[in-house]
Amino acid sequence: MVNDQQSGSITIKTKSVNQKHPIEALRKVGQMKKQQFWIILVYILLSIVMIGCTAAATEIFPQETEQEMIAKPPVDEIEEVEEVSEDNDRLQDEEGISSEARFTITADSVLQGPITELYEGFFEGETPVFVNADADLIATRSISINTGRPTFEATFLPGFVLLPGSESLDVRRFINFAISPEGQQVLIDAGELPAVISITDQAGNSLEIQQPLQRVISAFGPATSIVYSIGAKETLVAASYTGAGDPQGASVMERIDPRFPTLASDDFFSRQNFNIEEAAILDPHLIIGSARSSWLDVVDQLGISVFLMDAETPQQLQETVNLFGEMFGPHSSAQAQAWIEYYDFIITEIADQMGDLSPEERVKVLFTGTEPLRVASGDMYQTDMIEAAGGISVSADLLGFWNDVNLEQIAIWDPDIIIVPPYGGASVEAITESTEWQILTAVQNGRVYRMPRLVAPWDTPGPDSVMGIVWMVERLYPGLTAFSCESEAEYFYNTFLNYAISGDEIAAICLVE
Amino acid sequence: MGLILLLPILLFVISLTLGRYQISAPDVVRVLLSPIFPDIADGIPLIARQLVLQVRVPRVLAALLIGASYGATGTAFQAIFKNPLVDSNILGVTSGAGFGAAIAILLMRSTWQVQLSAFAFGLVAVSLSFFGSRLYKTTPLLVLTLMGILVGSLFNSLTSLLKYVADPLDALPAITFWLLGSLTNITWNRMVALVVITLIGLGLFWLLRWRLNILSLGDQEAKSLGVDPIQMKIMIIFIATLMTAVAVSISGVIGWVGLVIPHAGRLIVGPDHKRLMPVSIGLGGSFMILVDNVARTLLPGEIPLGVLTGLIGVPLLIILLRRARTGW
Repeated sequence: MVNDQQSGSITIKTKSVNQKHPIEALRKVGQMKKQQFWIILVYILLSIVMIGCTAAATEIFPQETEQEMIAKPPVDEIEEVEEVSEDNDRLQDEEGISSEARFTITADSVLQGPITELYEGFFEGETPVFVNADADLIATRSISINTGRPTFEATFLPGFVLLPGSESLDVRRFINFAISPEGQQVLIDAGELPAVISITDQAGNSLEIQQPLQRVISAFGPATSIVYSIGAKETLVAASYTGAGDPQGASVMERIDPRFPTLASDDFFSRQNFNIEEAAILDPHLIIGSARSSWLDVVDQLGISVFLMDAETPQQLQETVNLFGEMFGPHSSAQAQAWIEYYDFIITEIADQMGDLSPEERVKVLFTGTEPLRVASGDMYQTDMIEAAGGISVSADLLGFWNDVNLEQIAIWDPDIIIVPPYGGASVEAITESTEWQILTAVQNGRVYRMPRLVAPWDTPGPDSVMGIVWMVERLYPGLTAFSCESEAEYFYNTFLNYAISGDEIAAICLVE
Repeated sequence: MGLILLLPILLFVISLTLGRYQISAPDVVRVLLSPIFPDIADGIPLIARQLVLQVRVPRVLAALLIGASYGATGTAFQAIFKNPLVDSNILGVTSGAGFGAAIAILLMRSTWQVQLSAFAFGLVAVSLSFFGSRLYKTTPLLVLTLMGILVGSLFNSLTSLLKYVADPLDALPAITFWLLGSLTNITWNRMVALVVITLIGLGLFWLLRWRLNILSLGDQEAKSLGVDPIQMKIMIIFIATLMTAVAVSISGVIGWVGLVIPHAGRLIVGPDHKRLMPVSIGLGGSFMILVDNVARTLLPGEIPLGVLTGLIGVPLLIILLRRARTGW
């Protein structure tokens, strides 16, 4: 071994001596030193530049998002509270110590304890006045009426709601407080609500979630849609959105939620990407992601709860909405239940109103993708929607995801209706204005439609998809059911997104091109 | 040479302070010491501690080891194949690993399965090249190179086939991202194999580095100097394959480093492997840390490493070429 090594190094020496004159070799050593110096200099310079870059980047990509996000939601609350206390002072200044309560409350005896806690938490130093009838505020067990579209009231404890009995501003404020995270905190402190809930997400992981849930990062567009439609948007600190990437979607989203521009962070958090450093800055209590996200391992290392959702079928979607309701507290839970009831209501009503259609009478539907020759498979949510709307998906035998087919296959299917999605540059014209497609009955009859959207496309598995079913049944069987896109859209966005959708917007969405 | 070996360690420490979440350098040092002195990190938010210990340290360490590994294996392959255009992928290990990862992403998804499958198929590819070359007896090196290229393109075709059938919303982006290379998903428990195999491999290459000189002279000369060239080459190929496979299985495909770092090293210290091997290790590690820092800090989303190695590496190499005075 030792011998080998020596002989090896000797060979090298003789070789280099043979090649170069000794003096030259010496000069070479000097140059080598110089060379090393340059290399190191370059590395150090690059490191400095990079440190500079990071600093600049953190300045450019706003750090203040964080502060704004923390500051913004409480600002309203604080102002409100201050207003209240100012009112208080004024009242007391004008009338001395007011013995008159702000409003009267009717409550079951079991509810009087929690109501008192809430009342004392909101109007400091005051006690509530309970009466038996003609109260300004009624706390009662919620009654579900299973006819027509569901409604939901301010649910402050599971199964119990607060109903206003007068128009008083204090009553409204009190109700809002009772269902806000602050009000929920009061009830948790009083032992009326659990401080921690355990839940199993749709990837099968069980997690413990602190109540009331706040500071949520939603790293998956459909998850964000669900959070919005169960009235929990105030809990978000950053979110990925579906359909809000273009100016049109973004402007609607901004009307739905003024915080949208600061919340939108698809660059940082999406199904493909998760910027863990940015997440650490936001200090979230919960991260919601898709079970198919590729970033799960690393996020686990931060020690933050991660809820993974997987909603690709109607059943899974309902389950997801239900789980979200459980996580976000009693009021969101009631709203989630209302959404599930509405979904069931639409599906059963459509089935009832259509009666028994024979397979021959059913409309054959082709759902195409971002390219006209790309069609939805039977495994996709779009197929479930077509079936819920009483149609038959001609491409239901295909498996997997979007499938590429040729025009001959589509001609064999001969669909009655073709639906194109509202994303990825898909357009009705790409089909109707192409000469080859004229051979199809659907094209000849002008029955090629584009699926609408408000923000999220109505064919993505999210809360809005129920609107997609309503719209589809109207296209498939005009006049056969009592549903209209216009009236359901008005109900849906007012009820679940608390968004006063304008007549023009409804007309634009439901307009058939 | 000593300086170049110190460089990655210096960069390692600097890099830990880099990131969107700002943690000052003294805090980073306190957090680093906290496993030994538990009280030292008091007052630093838990999330910052987790970020440094569980996210940044494994990631920067992985970059260091993978870069060093590519530098060393590239140098070794270039020496035994006596060909400066050879890199760690010469026997198809990267292509095989890419195929292994793609099939695992398509069928199973869990990260450790992807890693294992990439590693296994990397070894399968090299075995195919190696035993395939045995079919033809003469000039084994040339046949081996040819087989490597053939096996590599075979696995590349298979990967393309998988990409074609993959779900474009789900698996396809994951496969593409993997093939471009990334250290996003590094965690401590995925590092075990990398640390063990890479450190042993680097150690062996360090000890064998003078033999690379002999091997690069040619088989006759090596024999006359008492080294069995065939046995030695097989051993070096085996070590380098294991190292590359484990590196690729963790980071995805990062081309370029194994090819160019040895040249950069040669520009600095010349062709003597006794010096070249340590310099390649140091340069590879430093370069990878540097590139990964850019990948994780420059944009909100990750930039694939395979994209950056070229973008950053080519200008660096041009500077080196301009400055070079030493023999190749």
